[in-house]
Amino acid sequence: MQLFLEQLVNGIALGSLYGLFGIGFGLVFATLGILNTAHGAYASWAAIIGYFAVVWYDVSFPVAIAVGVIGGGVLAILVDQIGFQPLRNRKTGMLGALITSIAFLIILDSLAGMATNHQSWAFPSRTYPRGMLDLGFMRIPYMQLIIIGAMVFCAAGIYLLIQKTRIGAAMRAVGWNAEAASLGGVNARMVILLTAFLAGATSGLAGVLGGAATSNISYMLGEGLLLKGFAAVVVGGYDDVRGTVLAGILLGICEVFIAQYLSTTFRDGFTYILLLTFLVMRPRGIFGSGNFMRA
Amino acid sequence: MEAILDFWAAYSATIAFGLVNSFIALSCYAVLSAGVLSFTTVMFAAVGGFVAAQMIGMFALPPLVAFLFAGVAGGVAAAVIAVIFLRLETHWMALASLALVLITRVVVLNTPTLTGGVQGMLVPVRVSVLELFLALAVTAFVFYRMHNSWYGLVSRAVREDPSVASTMGISTYRVQFIAFLISGAVGGIGGAALATTLQFISADTYFLALAFTMIASTVLGGSFHWFGPIVGAFVFTALPTTMQAVLPEIQDVAKGVVLLVIMILLPRGLVDPRVLKLRLSRSPKTAEQPDA
Amino acid sequence: MHDTPTLLQLRAVAKHFGGVAAVGGLSTTVRKGTVHGLIGPNGAGKTTVINLITGLFHPTDGEILFDGHNLEAKPPHEIAALGISRTYQNVRLFSGMSALEQVLTGCFLKRGSSLFASFAGLPAARRNWEEARAKSLLLLARVGMAGKADVLAETLSYGEQRRIEIARALGSDPKLLLLDEPTAGMNHAESQAIGQLVHELRDSGLTILMVEHNMGLVTEFCDSCTVMNFGKLLAEGTPRSCIDDPEVQAAYFGRKNDAKRIQPVG
Repeated sequence: MQLFLEQLVNGIALGSLYGLFGIGFGLVFATLGILNTAHGAYASWAAIIGYFAVVWYDVSFPVAIAVGVIGGGVLAILVDQIGFQPLRNRKTGMLGALITSIAFLIILDSLAGMATNHQSWAFPSRTYPRGMLDLGFMRIPYMQLIIIGAMVFCAAGIYLLIQKTRIGAAMRAVGWNAEAASLGGVNARMVILLTAFLAGATSGLAGVLGGAATSNISYMLGEGLLLKGFAAVVVGGYDDVRGTVLAGILLGICEVFIAQYLSTTFRDGFTYILLLTFLVMRPRGIFGSGNFMRA
Repeated sequence: MEAILDFWAAYSATIAFGLVNSFIALSCYAVLSAGVLSFTTVMFAAVGGFVAAQMIGMFALPPLVAFLFAGVAGGVAAAVIAVIFLRLETHWMALASLALVLITRVVVLNTPTLTGGVQGMLVPVRVSVLELFLALAVTAFVFYRMHNSWYGLVSRAVREDPSVASTMGISTYRVQFIAFLISGAVGGIGGAALATTLQFISADTYFLALAFTMIASTVLGGSFHWFGPIVGAFVFTALPTTMQAVLPEIQDVAKGVVLLVIMILLPRGLVDPRVLKLRLSRSPKTAEQPDA
Repeated sequence: MHDTPTLLQLRAVAKHFGGVAAVGGLSTTVRKGTVHGLIGPNGAGKTTVINLITGLFHPTDGEILFDGHNLEAKPPHEIAALGISRTYQNVRLFSGMSALEQVLTGCFLKRGSSLFASFAGLPAARRNWEEARAKSLLLLARVGMAGKADVLAETLSYGEQRRIEIARALGSDPKLLLLDEPTAGMNHAESQAIGQLVHELRDSGLTILMVEHNMGLVTEFCDSCTVMNFGKLLAEGTPRSCIDDPEVQAAYFGRKNDAKRIQPVG
């Protein structure tokens, strides 16, 4: 029973990483209409920047997180302004930005490979919380609690931002039609920058926390998160923060339990079988609404 | 003569991969030109690749015959996928097709009797550059004929504005279904071409790298004319080789930068029929004629 | 004129978006061989009616009958095949196509060949293509765009694009042509030319339903009309009787009560 509970929390924590990472991916897709393949690179770079901050400047872990989060956000804004902004208003649809995002994926991943000498690093053990919270009947690593807490905080924050604030309404409006939104007095540029920053920052947060928890900081970190975060977005529905989070946690729990009780070879298989099932049975995700028709 | 031989020795591999990637890019173009952004080509290529590898392994077929079987298998796979995917809304279909790429890899890994599973498969025959060239020439001819047919015209209409096209009596479903079939057949051939060029295929052969190469080649070359994907495939294949000669340290970074710069400067790609039509529009011959 | 048979009939057609009724139970008829105007203030639901007839939207309630067929739940391309063709309020030509190609696309419905036939170059397919080409050039000439066949349509002026759009709509030999504000953004002479064209088309046997803002044109060129407001029928009959209707006067000019402005201009 103790093992079961510990594995459950383990799964929730893993899933929280997927969800945290997926929120930004879905947000950019729904609001800006960009299928951003470079979203994983933000996570890799945030983890790498956080690592350098810790190793070179001997900063504390919260500061390393902040550095990674801001770094991820700024990187996302740079990518948006260099790679996506010139294509807006040029009627390239989803295609143009998809290609420039692939260009950035190639650039950022190979630079990350060079920065890390193509090796996998880990935060020095004294620099991040490695203890366990002992509840008597089970023990939970602090890192897992931090990850779950961070995900809940970000998901709730972004959900409330989108649903309850003026800028959130503007984000939804831009997602519907940037031209109409700018006519209606919405500052489309502000919305774009904010969306890009939020996406980069949450991706970065997932990168730093994931890099610390799994002791794997490398240019590959982002790709792993991208595949699973992407699955969470598809299962959960890209235009719904709640769906992404729920699907991420579901995926995390399933992965951990299948690895524990069946075999590790089935682990990835299961994720994608779930994905396929949702594609066929429930297109548009858990909370997805019906197709809207544009005439 | 020696110079030519040297050139051939140095670049024949690049040319072979340029030809192979042309098939893959044309497969992507086939659906894109009917308004469908889809990565499903990777799955069609996997089907074609493993079918060709099995046929060659079992019956010692010559590569070009194996290509035919691969094309048929890819087409069949595409028919199944099209039925599922054409129900989905555009944005959703793009995501779903990317998911299909991930699913394909898992399926390949878990069906070792068909695909060699984790070990992958050796392909005992190597296709020659000449054979690849011939196959591509035939494929390109098919695309040329389609481009100048009713199908070409109607698929462009569906791509530019599907709801307007539908009110003109064009069934967008039907056009896009045909596009998927063509994409499947050409993608299957491309997968077989890849298998018989690499002579070793595994789950990782038909994965994200291929998806990204394919879409980048297609859009880089230009997705508004069938010649675009072929140009794009050669440029994108030659980029790393060229970069290696110039900037070996940062060849990948340079490849990304070149892709970025071209896309920002020429978002419609290197081959753009619109430019030609614009020139035609402005030529004095048409401009001076008065309205009837 | 009222003895002519009905071509299009709307029976209590309603369309709701979310909770909002864009069209709320509209009934009206369009008779064969007439030019029927659909008029009303902005936001009255006119374009929605056009979208409902062409199948881009499906009615929430009510039914639409066309030439003996119930259009209920039919997809747009099947409705087009029954003989309904349209233009759009904001011209929607295909980007990257020449004027000729636009019109050729319109000809596909009646003269197109299957992929296999046109690919294999079967004689019938080649004949279809040549016929469609000849027909397209004829249609371009008819709308006064004879010299512009090879010109990229998006480089033409707004008025010229509208005319190409009409030619494209005529490519499918429709029985009913729906024109959504065909004279928007045109000057007086251009509008008159469009009105003239509409008359010619009617005289050649076509039925036309046009959304129109220009009251002068409505009185001059429409045989009958339907006035809508807030998604509902306000008045129906001859243009003259509609305009004189006090309710129409009130809806159109409300507070201003400026009756002079709806006197025919032409």
